[in-house]
Amino acid sequence: MFKNYLKVTWRNLLKNKGFTAINIAGLAVGMASAALILFWVQNEVSYDQFHEKKDRLYQMYNRSVFDGKLWCWGTTPKVMRSSLKQDYPQVEQVARTTNANFLFTIGDKHLTLAGNHTDPDFLTMFSFPLVKGNAKTALNDMKNIVLTEKTAKKLFGDQDPMGKTIKIDSTDYFTVTAVMKDLPNNTRFDFEYLMPWSYLEKTDNYVDKNWGNNSVQTWALLKPGVTEAAVNRQVKNITRSHSDIKDIDVFMHPATKWHLYSKFENGKIVGGKIEAVRLFSIIAGFILLIACINFMNLSTARSEKRAKEVGIRKVVGASKTSLISQFLGESIMISLIAGVLALVIVQVSLPGFNNLTDKKLFIPWESTTFWLLCLSFIIFTGVLSGSYPALYLSAFRPVKVLKGTFKAANAAISPRKVLVVTQFTFAIVLIISTIIVREQLEYAQNRDTGYKKNNLVYTFMSGNIGKNYALIRNELLTSGAATAVSKTSAPMTEGWSDTWGFSWEGKNENEKLDFNVYNTDGSFTKTMGLKVIEGRDIDADKYPSDSLAILLNEASVKVMGFKQPIGQIVKNGDTKLTVVGVVKDFILQSPYEPVRPMVIQGPKSWFNVIHYKLNEKNTTAANLKLAEAVFKKFNSEYPFDYHFVDDEYAKKFKDEQRTGTLASLFAGLTIFISCLGLFGLATYMAQNRIKEIGVRKVLGASVMGVTSMLSKDFLKLVGFAFLIATPLAWYFMHSWLQGYTYRVPISIWVFVSAALVTTIISIVTVSFQAVKAALTNPVKSLRSE
Amino acid sequence: MIKITNLEKFYRTEEVETIALNKLSMEVNTGEFVAIMGPSGCGKSTLLNILGMLDDPDAGSYVFNGTEIAHFNERKRADLRKHNIGFVFQSFNLIDELTVFENVELPLIYTGVSSADRVKRVEEVLDKMQIMHRRNHYPQQLSGGQQQRVAIARAVVNKPKLILADEPTGNLDSSNGNEVMELLTDLNEQGTTIIMVTHSEHDARYSHRIIRLLDGQTVMENIMV
Repeated sequence: MFKNYLKVTWRNLLKNKGFTAINIAGLAVGMASAALILFWVQNEVSYDQFHEKKDRLYQMYNRSVFDGKLWCWGTTPKVMRSSLKQDYPQVEQVARTTNANFLFTIGDKHLTLAGNHTDPDFLTMFSFPLVKGNAKTALNDMKNIVLTEKTAKKLFGDQDPMGKTIKIDSTDYFTVTAVMKDLPNNTRFDFEYLMPWSYLEKTDNYVDKNWGNNSVQTWALLKPGVTEAAVNRQVKNITRSHSDIKDIDVFMHPATKWHLYSKFENGKIVGGKIEAVRLFSIIAGFILLIACINFMNLSTARSEKRAKEVGIRKVVGASKTSLISQFLGESIMISLIAGVLALVIVQVSLPGFNNLTDKKLFIPWESTTFWLLCLSFIIFTGVLSGSYPALYLSAFRPVKVLKGTFKAANAAISPRKVLVVTQFTFAIVLIISTIIVREQLEYAQNRDTGYKKNNLVYTFMSGNIGKNYALIRNELLTSGAATAVSKTSAPMTEGWSDTWGFSWEGKNENEKLDFNVYNTDGSFTKTMGLKVIEGRDIDADKYPSDSLAILLNEASVKVMGFKQPIGQIVKNGDTKLTVVGVVKDFILQSPYEPVRPMVIQGPKSWFNVIHYKLNEKNTTAANLKLAEAVFKKFNSEYPFDYHFVDDEYAKKFKDEQRTGTLASLFAGLTIFISCLGLFGLATYMAQNRIKEIGVRKVLGASVMGVTSMLSKDFLKLVGFAFLIATPLAWYFMHSWLQGYTYRVPISIWVFVSAALVTTIISIVTVSFQAVKAALTNPVKSLRSE
Repeated sequence: MIKITNLEKFYRTEEVETIALNKLSMEVNTGEFVAIMGPSGCGKSTLLNILGMLDDPDAGSYVFNGTEIAHFNERKRADLRKHNIGFVFQSFNLIDELTVFENVELPLIYTGVSSADRVKRVEEVLDKMQIMHRRNHYPQQLSGGQQQRVAIARAVVNKPKLILADEPTGNLDSSNGNEVMELLTDLNEQGTTIIMVTHSEHDARYSHRIIRLLDGQTVMENIMV
């Protein structure tokens, strides 16, 4: 019996090549899109869930009140580790991590690589398997280093790296004690090597015991059988009991929630990535559903052709069940073909998708689970798309269909119409969302940054740059490469430091106000092109007392409540700082948020970056060549590394750009699949009404009249979908925009243009068939009787 | 074999109720060849559908081989039908996507005959109908007469006790029509009961008995000699 079904299916597919193509193409595109999204979802859901001890692993978190709100953050004091190890017997192991960035030298090879400093426990707490070396001892000595396989290959090629020596910066020699399997694509950790924590303490030249300096991540492994709640009760007061900081609670964030549930609001987990995972899963489901709807619509539209077959089969003895299984088998077979095609599409589009989503997804060809999932996915799709047609077709009564009196129902609300409306509702919601995401992006991009990004470049102070800063600054200016130079604590596009430790006259001492902290040695406003509103820039050459001068931004002046800001004293702990100038607010961090209060401290502070304004009289290339020569001269071992501030600023929009691109991609796909279906339906409609059209034309109807008559029915459905989609889209996008303080208003034009786009696309889709039908010579269509 | 008593069937649309069968009673014995005649709309097709268990009556009794089946549900009817009844239609009703062989094979598949037996039986019946040489052709490639022979082959392949023929020669020219009638007569002579609906007096003459219907009732019976 199965063979017979297969034969009929196959011959049916070949006989109706056009519809087969539409059906399979629609399903394949739908399945491929859903599969890509599911790959993404699977990756997100599996983040750091491969650690064998994940149920006992935690990240230490702080919780405290700022500006009247409870905030949670995952950086801790460095000293927390030793306290956890000594005083908390329920804690089995503890490791800290913080970024490391060093120049690696092997012979003539110089490479700047990014890694982590960590404690020896790290290797046995987490499941990052070693290919070579012993996890228990690999980080025991201060000058041991663990490389990932990729890094080892980069440094040593095919040689065995074990026991080899690497020169780190220009100072120390490290021995490779282990090689780690490359990190999987689903972990929050990102390093090319691991170095012992003890080395950090040596280079920093001190052991940081300050409980107020929250700068590293601390990971804890609990002993088996210990509950999270019990330990949370105890660690809550760890900071309080070791310092005079009385308003910080410490708690543990479990590994099972690191990736998906990391958004805290008022001290409680309110979600995080899980929202995107849910949204994307829903989108995947809908795209697949839309593709399946095509199949349902086309199969039932073709029912008149299949009706006879159903009748005959019933007459010769087929039961309803056997017919249902026949039609389901057919849809599963089509789904199988589409599935194979989808797999090809996925493989081809994966690099682009990875690029778009910033992931390293791949198809696990060797995994049995993967193939089983594929099979279930195909069967699921087949059943989903085939069940309605199967029930519909198998219910035909032979008496009617065999006498030729059968005519498919054309009721006011047929399931087919409902399905088309569903498809277009979804498509229109996506189109509207795409437009709004893009508008919001443009809106934020057009916001005034408050400083001049163009021709502004920065270089991190690696190696000897700090030591030779005065010389470098001088040569950058005299060589003509730059017109202004300023040493700062962080790049102009990043907030690296903040504190609630400032006090001033008239401050409400009960209120904890947090300020961004930024440092400069001078020439700040000139280099950045900032507007000075009051007073002047910091200039220690001219005013020696400026080593303790500060600049405030407008937001700071406002929260500090200064009427006359110039000359005011602001205390940072015991240090007295004098306000010498006020600068216009500029965007340091999020372009979607209001500018935060900021204190810009003078030369007596710490520095990491040199900013310089390139000379506008030269070409950029010439300037960079000059600058490179300067840096090479004073920091010869390090490659010249530079960053354009406008490029870095543009990266702030990456997330929204990605959302925008994904939304347009999904919208495009949905429209494509929906239109494939619409095209198919229009074709059948044209065929079914060919005689009616003939009669109408004989009676004097024009081509235009017939075309619009045929298109009208479909446009009505699209219009109806629009009515449903508009409030839905408004609701979703309104909630999305709530996440941004600077947000674009939703204008009526968004909906008007979405309506126009959809209408035009559907008219084009339908009218092709409608015009073709209208142009048919009535003699031809009426002759068939 | 068949005994119907006071059979009634109505067709309703929103405004009109049409009586298709009006307290119709009749009997057909095993081995008989009965022709049913009457003008369009007299209820002969409805009768044939009910006899063939494709449709159910609204009232009355239908005893088939001693079993009352008027109240049978679709599944039970389908089961009884596939083992006992073969159909021949005016418009042949072959499945376009299947070859001659596969069309004839279909009833055997649904009654669960093994594949080897199927080949044997299909070849046997195709041979008998003299269309063996066309076994791998599709219906569209055959003439009307050939198509009807395939349809008859399909109707008899399961060795049914009863064949219901709905104007079997309606779409054929006279020589092909005669051939089909000869085939039916042969089958009847070999013991198969045949009930045939027809408009053609000529075809009716092949039968043993003609039942004439008008407005859902029997108006006359002719016994042929």
